[in-house]
Order: sequence, then C-alpha cells, then structure tokens
Amino acid sequence: MRAFGPVIAVLVALLLVASSVMFTVDQRQNAIVFQFEEVKDVITKPGLHFKWPLIQKVRLFDMRILAYDDAEPLRFLTQGNRPVLVDSFIRWRIVDVKQYFVSVRGDELEATRRLRQTISGALRDEFGARTVHDVVSGERDAVMGRVREKADQDLRRIGVEIVDVRLKRVDLPQEVSESVYRRMEAERKRIANELRSTGAAESERIRADADRQREVILAEAYRDAQRVKGDGDARAAATYAQAFSRDAEFYAFYRSMEAYRSTFRGRADLLLLEPSSDFFRYLKDPGGRAGGKK
Amino acid sequence: MSLNDPNWGRGSRGPGGNQGPPDLDELWRNFNRKLNDLFGGRRGGGGDIPPMPPSGRMLGGGAGVLVALVVVIWLASGFYVVDAASRGVVLTFGKFSEITDPGLRWRMPFPIQSHEVVNLSQVRTLEVGYRNSVKTKVLKESLMLTDDENIVDLQFAVQYVVTDAQAWLFNNRRPEEVAMLTAEAAMREIIGKSKMDAILYEGQDNIANQAQVLMQQILDNYKTGISLSRVTIQNAQPPEQVQAAFDDAVKAGQDRERQKNEGQAYANDVIPRARGAAARLTQEAEGYKARVVANAEGEASRFRQVLTEYSKAPAITRERIYIETLQSVLSSTSKILVDTRASGNLLYLPLDKLMQQSGVSGLTESQASQRSSDAALPIDPGPRSRDSLRNRERGER
Repeated sequence: MRAFGPVIAVLVALLLVASSVMFTVDQRQNAIVFQFEEVKDVITKPGLHFKWPLIQKVRLFDMRILAYDDAEPLRFLTQGNRPVLVDSFIRWRIVDVKQYFVSVRGDELEATRRLRQTISGALRDEFGARTVHDVVSGERDAVMGRVREKADQDLRRIGVEIVDVRLKRVDLPQEVSESVYRRMEAERKRIANELRSTGAAESERIRADADRQREVILAEAYRDAQRVKGDGDARAAATYAQAFSRDAEFYAFYRSMEAYRSTFRGRADLLLLEPSSDFFRYLKDPGGRAGGKK
Repeated sequence: MSLNDPNWGRGSRGPGGNQGPPDLDELWRNFNRKLNDLFGGRRGGGGDIPPMPPSGRMLGGGAGVLVALVVVIWLASGFYVVDAASRGVVLTFGKFSEITDPGLRWRMPFPIQSHEVVNLSQVRTLEVGYRNSVKTKVLKESLMLTDDENIVDLQFAVQYVVTDAQAWLFNNRRPEEVAMLTAEAAMREIIGKSKMDAILYEGQDNIANQAQVLMQQILDNYKTGISLSRVTIQNAQPPEQVQAAFDDAVKAGQDRERQKNEGQAYANDVIPRARGAAARLTQEAEGYKARVVANAEGEASRFRQVLTEYSKAPAITRERIYIETLQSVLSSTSKILVDTRASGNLLYLPLDKLMQQSGVSGLTESQASQRSSDAALPIDPGPRSRDSLRNRERGER
C-alpha cells in the first residue's frame, strides 16, 4: 500500500508524457507539425504520430469535402439587364494544408470568404454574358463548369480544390416574378380562348359538314327519284303511243269524250248551248235534220 | 508502430530517458507484466517477462488489484454492438482499419481504437419543398423556374440508402446536408430544362427519373456512398397566383371536347334523317313510276279493247259514245239552251248572277247531286231550273 502512491504518480506522468509526444491523425484529417510557429512537417497519413513535446505543436485540418452555401441568394444581372437571384453552393476541400495554412492562417471562415469572392465574381461574369433562359436551362452546365474551373485555378493558390460549383436556385426577383405570373396568366387565357374557339370552330365544321351531307343526300335522292319518274313517264308515253297510234282519229274522238266527261262534271259548270249541235238534232225535228244539217 | 511494440517508447524517451531513476524502470516492467498477463489470455502470446525483483511482488498486493480493475474496465469499454441493419467501422489511431459485421464486437479501447456505426438498411428520406405534409409548403424551395420561363410549384421526395459506410463517413462533412443540397440543385436543373406543360401534365415520371440520374451522378462525384432508391414528385402545380387561370385552361379543353361532341351529336341527328328522307324520295319515285306505267298500260289496254269493238261497227259505236258522253256531261251540269236565230243578238244573260245562283244552289244541292245527276231531266224547284224551263219554253216557241 505504501508503494501505491508512486505507482499512480508514475502512471499519470507516463500518460502526460505520452499525450505530449504522441498524437493521432484521423482518416478525415491532415496535420501540420509546427516547431516554434514554423511549419516543420505535413502529415497526410492517418494514424499515430510523434512529435517533440513542448517545442512542437500540431494542428489538424478537416480534409473532407466541405460545403459552402450562401445564406442569402446573390443578385446578378444577365444580358439585357434582367436581374436574377442566384443561390449556389460550393463543394471544396483542402488539398494542400501547408499552402492553405500559409494563405488563410487555416481559418475556414477566411477561406470561405475568399471562396465566395472568387466564385461570385466568376458567376457575375458568366451571368452577365448570358440570358436568363441560358442560365436557367441551356447553359447551366457550362456556367457551372466554367465557374468551377476558374475558381479552381484561382483557389489552388490557397491550397483549396473546388470540387463542384452548383447553381441551386436561379430565381427571378419578386417584382419580376409578379410580371411572370401575369404573363403566365395571359398565356393561359390565350390557350383557354384558343381551345374554346377551336372547339366552336370544330363544332361548326362538323355541323356544316353534316348539313352539306344532308343537302347532298337529298339532292342525289331527288335526282334519282326524278330519273325513276322520268323513266316511268317515258314508258307510259311509249305504251300510250303504241296503243293510240293504231287509230289516231278514233283516239282523238275517244279521248275528247273522256275529257268532256271529266271537264264538265258539276252544277257549277254552266253551259250556254245552241240547239243547233248534233246532239240536239232531234230536239226540234224528229227526223233529225234540224240540228246538224241545217 | 503499435503500443505493444517493445521499441515504441525508445524514441520518445529521448536522451534524458536513459538517466531516469532505476525504480521507474522496475515499476514499468512490473506494469508491463500485469498488462501482458491480462492480454496474454486473449492474445495467446505472453511478452518476454524479465525476472522479477522481490520488491515487485510486494507491490502486487491491494494496489495491483485496483490497477487490474481499472484495466478491466478500460478494456471493457471496447465492447460495442452493431445492429443487424448496420456495419461498424473501426479506426485505429484515427486510421481506418476494418469494417465489422453485426453482433457484439470488441475493439481496442479508447485511445487506440474507436468505432462508428453506420446504418446501411435504413431508407432515409429528404423532403424538398415541403415538410411532413405536402400542405405545409416551403415556397422558397418549391417555386422553380422552367425552360419557358414560367414558375412551377413542385414538391418532391428523395429516398436513399447508404451503401458505402466508409465513403459516407470519410469523404464529406455532413453528408445528409450534401444530399439535400444536391437533390434541390439537380431537380432545379432538370426543371430548368423542361417545359411547364410537360412538368404539370404528362412528363412527371420522366422528370423524376432524369433528376434521379443527375443526383446520383453528382453524389457519386462527391463520393458520398449514397445510393438513391427513389425520387418521387409529390405534387406539381402552377403557383397559387395563377392557379385559377390554369384551371380555366383545363376547363376550356373540356369545353372544346363538349362542343365537338355537340357538333357530332347534331351531325348524328341530321344525316340519318336526311338518309331517311332520301329513302322516302326514292321509294315515292318508284311508286310513281309503277303507278304511271300501270295506268298507261291499263288505259292502253282499255283503248285497244274499245278500238277492237269500234272497228267492227265504227259509225254506231261513235254515235253511241258521243251521245252517252254528252248525256252524262249535260245531265250533271247547269245549262242554258239558247236558240240564237230566234232571239237574235238582244238576248240578255245575267251571267254573273246565274253563276252566283248556281254556286249557292250547288252548295245546297251537293248532297243531292247523286240523285239529281241520275235523273235524265232535273225537275228541281230552284230558280235556275225555272229559268232553264223558261228558256226551254222560249226555245220551243
């Protein structure tokens, strides 16, 4: 029991020594070993490492891909002075810890400030050379690619790699949005009117077509009917002619008689007669000579 | 270098370390032996234990037990559980050393090894443009600009699983946030290349697929270890400000269909009717033809028959027909017999009056016409009859 105190003391001393001599570098990290504030060594391999106690200090850096996301969207002017609000995010990581430390004192805030300056400048250039439609649709990739390249080139000097620059939101400012809404509304109205009027036109066309068909059908039917009737008339005429031409004189007489009969057939027909006609020849003279042969 | 390497302490001790007090050396060896005893059972290999000084055994007493206890607790802190859905990732001094399967696992305790557990089966969901329910929109996220410079209100969800625990842990800071940013950026890019109508009405699946492909590409570029399982568009609609106009346009489309149908209905009404009327015309014409031809044939036949008889006795037949005809004509009509030679040209006939009377009496007599026409000589007491009688008398005189 008496020896217990020294044992503890020795253990604590050992731990103290160990902790000031050894350090671990995580899988996600790189480290810089400083000797009197001077960069002595850069450690890129994870694991257990050693340093001199007291005179050497270690600083760890996160080597994962980091995100920088603007809190507020940036306002850029595109071609034709149309403003857009752009919200982009940047994926970056430290590739050269020494350079990084020398340039920005290893301060992430300072680094992101530099990132933001460089990238918003590059974006401003790219947006200024393009129309809204280009940046929203056609050339989005190109914008992102070129900004990334430019920024990457620039920021290598501070030991940072730009993995990706991505446009998240490209929106129109509020006052422009309102006019877009109005335009959308007008456009829909146009479409609606077009639909309605083409509907009416289509309907009218169908009706007119139906009317035309009706006319055609009736006219053709009338034509065919007349043909049939004409045919009948012709055959009747032929029949009459054939029969009556046997004795044309008798036909004239016979037909006249029939015509008389059907012409004078009511009390309303008033005949003013002379008793000199053949019919009345016996009226005055029983010999029958008075009327006709006077 | 590992802690158990017998040389590990040499470098750190430095030049001053060799001049350390002798009992420190001994204590160290003692501690090492105890440690090796404990490790020995597990590791199956004892260290090279130097012969122990007698004083070491004295130290072994109560303090030894206490130290052993601390060591046991320290070692026990190396146990951890990996559940069935997960994998453990073990780091040795911060360096990745292995991936462990589910179960109760042991790693070397604290400063030496550490572990992290990553769930590989859990389907993680990102909600973009809304939270919890589609009704609680986040307009800042959901309003997007389309190719034709319209604005669309779109909510979508992304489901993903982590397939590579190592990549998930080591390559990105806050990978969940990365996934969210990527999802939004990719969807906006696809929407920016699509037309409003395609987004709203037909192409939603297509857009979701394209967005998924793009998201996966970006995430692979970041080496996040994420595998997307689904991107679903929950809701795509025009912004509230213009909703009414869009609804009206949809209604207009239906109106158009309605009008077309009405037109078609009219056509379906008119054309069959016309066909019916046409059929009637045709049939009537056929009927007419049949009638006319039959009439002609009938009359011709009658004439021929009469002619046959007539040719046998022409004079008498002609006379008979003539008289018969005149009889039937005169018996049914009103007549005035005027002997022009007797009365000269001074005869006055009030023709219009006569016509009037015959018209009036014609009306009253129409019922009796049948009877009177049969009679050879009408003996009606009407004024016209009297007139005609008078005329006759006059004629006879």
